[in-house]
Amino acid sequence: MNELKIEDLSCKRGESKVLNNVSLTIKSGETLVVKGRNGSGKTTLLRILSNFITSYQGKVSLNDLSILEDNSYNNKFNLIGQKNSLKDNLSIKKNLELWDIIFNETLDHAKLLEQDNLDHLINRDVGSLSDGQKKCISLHRLNYNKYEFWFLDEPFVYLDEVNTNSLIEKINRFNENMGIVILTSNINLPKKFHKEINI
Amino acid sequence: MLNLIKRDLLLSFYSSANFFFTVSFFVLILILIPFAFGTQSDQLKLLFKGVVWIALALSIIITVDRIYNADYEDGNLDIIMQKNKTIEYLVISKYITHWFIYCLPLLVILPILSFLFYLDYLETIQIFINLFIGSFGMVFIANFVSALTLGAKRTIFLKTIIMIPLFVPFIIFGSDAGSWPILLGLSMLSFVISIYVTAYGLRLYGE
Repeated sequence: MNELKIEDLSCKRGESKVLNNVSLTIKSGETLVVKGRNGSGKTTLLRILSNFITSYQGKVSLNDLSILEDNSYNNKFNLIGQKNSLKDNLSIKKNLELWDIIFNETLDHAKLLEQDNLDHLINRDVGSLSDGQKKCISLHRLNYNKYEFWFLDEPFVYLDEVNTNSLIEKINRFNENMGIVILTSNINLPKKFHKEINI
Repeated sequence: MLNLIKRDLLLSFYSSANFFFTVSFFVLILILIPFAFGTQSDQLKLLFKGVVWIALALSIIITVDRIYNADYEDGNLDIIMQKNKTIEYLVISKYITHWFIYCLPLLVILPILSFLFYLDYLETIQIFINLFIGSFGMVFIANFVSALTLGAKRTIFLKTIIMIPLFVPFIIFGSDAGSWPILLGLSMLSFVISIYVTAYGLRLYGE
């Protein structure tokens, strides 16, 4: 059972303060939806949770141990940022091979893409895909399954209804397996996502 | 660290056009010398020893955008930095792959080119040793310039202006046959400064 706790978190970006005394707790099996206006600090919050931003006030701890001191923390989360992490000049297959090496895990990509009806695109160059298709391929990284947390930055952008529902199902399955999901989104999501915060 | 080396080598194999572009650029600069200065063997020998360094410097400059910027722009740098918590290891693996992909092919092709410029075996070996040692130092410099200018767009001129003065000591000592100990010293000094500055630049990007 994991408990991720944020206490009195404040952060400055340049001259402006983007997070102001944010406090929350999230436990295994829960999903937190972070909402807020553009520039309010949603992405900053995810980058703090991912240990990219280390200069902030307040405390972020996992099971009462600060994430800055927890050496194994970086291997526990899977961050999907707003960029797709795909090389436009390479095919999907080659991009996925490169991910396999970085994630140190070999997946059966053809089978997994078949589930999302993307298997026919596997040899296509990423540059020739639509933004929605690129986003679907980018979310394919959620299949690497050694992780206890998913941090998703605007994961529903560009997705159609079918793919949105499919992602919601994936998140629910991950929650059932006691995974923690923190995502930023301004669209209205089903009530299943029971925790919401406005920053 | 090994994973990142493997990934970068595979990526360069998949995008082999970049690799051929660098090698062709290096060869073409050297091939232009006889057209400009004639084909007298003594003159060519002398010119080759200096111009080969300029060609190497320019070849490294055109690759500088591919060290960190490409991964930064498509978002892969986030994944790489997350998976390599000790950024210094990440930087060292980038040194290795950058040198392996862009400098080693130039050294391999060097004996053929020096033969075209009437250089004998001994002279070729001397140039080879100097280039081998000096190219590491130049790669270290290119890496820290790339990391410090991360995210800044269309800055190839800025990077060139920063890098060329730093390459000058290598060019001065490189064309001297017995100066490999000085080049070794310069390369080691570049390594010490570069690993610190590159890691700092990458951490700054994360922030």
